[in-house]
Amino acid sequence: MQNLIIEGTKSTPTVHFDQLNNILTLKGQSYPENSFEFYEPIFQWVEEYFAQLEGETTVSVDFILPYINTSSSKCIMMLLETFDKAYLDGKKVNLNWYYNIESPSELECAEEFCEDLNLPFNLIARETE
Amino acid sequence: MVGTNLLDIQNRLRENGLLISFSGRFSQAIIEELGEAVKKYLELEQSPANNIHNIFSIFIEQTQNIKNYCESKDNTEGYHKISNSCIVTIGKVEELNYICSGNLIASEDIPILVEKLDHILRLDKVELKKLYKEVLRREMAPGSKGAGMGLIDMARKATVPLEYSITRLDNDYSFLTIKAVV
Repeated sequence: MQNLIIEGTKSTPTVHFDQLNNILTLKGQSYPENSFEFYEPIFQWVEEYFAQLEGETTVSVDFILPYINTSSSKCIMMLLETFDKAYLDGKKVNLNWYYNIESPSELECAEEFCEDLNLPFNLIARETE
Repeated sequence: MVGTNLLDIQNRLRENGLLISFSGRFSQAIIEELGEAVKKYLELEQSPANNIHNIFSIFIEQTQNIKNYCESKDNTEGYHKISNSCIVTIGKVEELNYICSGNLIASEDIPILVEKLDHILRLDKVELKKLYKEVLRREMAPGSKGAGMGLIDMARKATVPLEYSITRLDNDYSFLTIKAVV
């Protein structure tokens, strides 16, 4: 299977899902015209990725999402639920969510996404870019 | 004559504390350009990061909501009239920023919208958070473009309750205005 690489734009994050090193990074603002269209190939890739993943491998998911509109939020939640399901199926998944240290709204948003998850997650403060 | 009219308009914008305004058909490209411009401006003003985040969020939700509404009217008689009626403004009054937008709305869409708005306006921050989380985890309605969460999100990020008004123009159309203050 191939890595999933999508260059970021003003309204879509950079996707760097590296299946060789098992590091899945999503970085940037997300408010596309049609969120479901944008996230659809990502959902498909992730499904396929977990289906072929060996049990002992640790997967690191890195999210750096300074702004997510509501329709993207829905997609991010679906993505997190997929990760969580993989974790409950015995895969080793670790989520790192980087938030802007000066923005309580960003932290609150990250907390709301993560609070019902079973998989281990770290909320990590980053400096403003 | 042309010159005086434009000056007149500019003065009136200024009196209302307007920083940015756009009137016309909303496209994703225009939303992105204006959104980034707003953010740059607020950064130059050294607004707190949290305010910038909230203002930008509300701006995006308001404009994308309107754009989605216009697209839902595609292939109807009112499509051009509605999609050319959009306006969004960002302004500042006594240290508070506001995002105020407006668009034509077809009469048949008013009852559902009013019900939704009035429901959201009655909720406090804790109730809004609960509703937001509920909708976030709800299954999507097939074929829908938005998540149906824009108004809830705006209400959560605004400092004071949202304000709205509906001005009846004729039997078929009214003008909807929504204002959020940060």
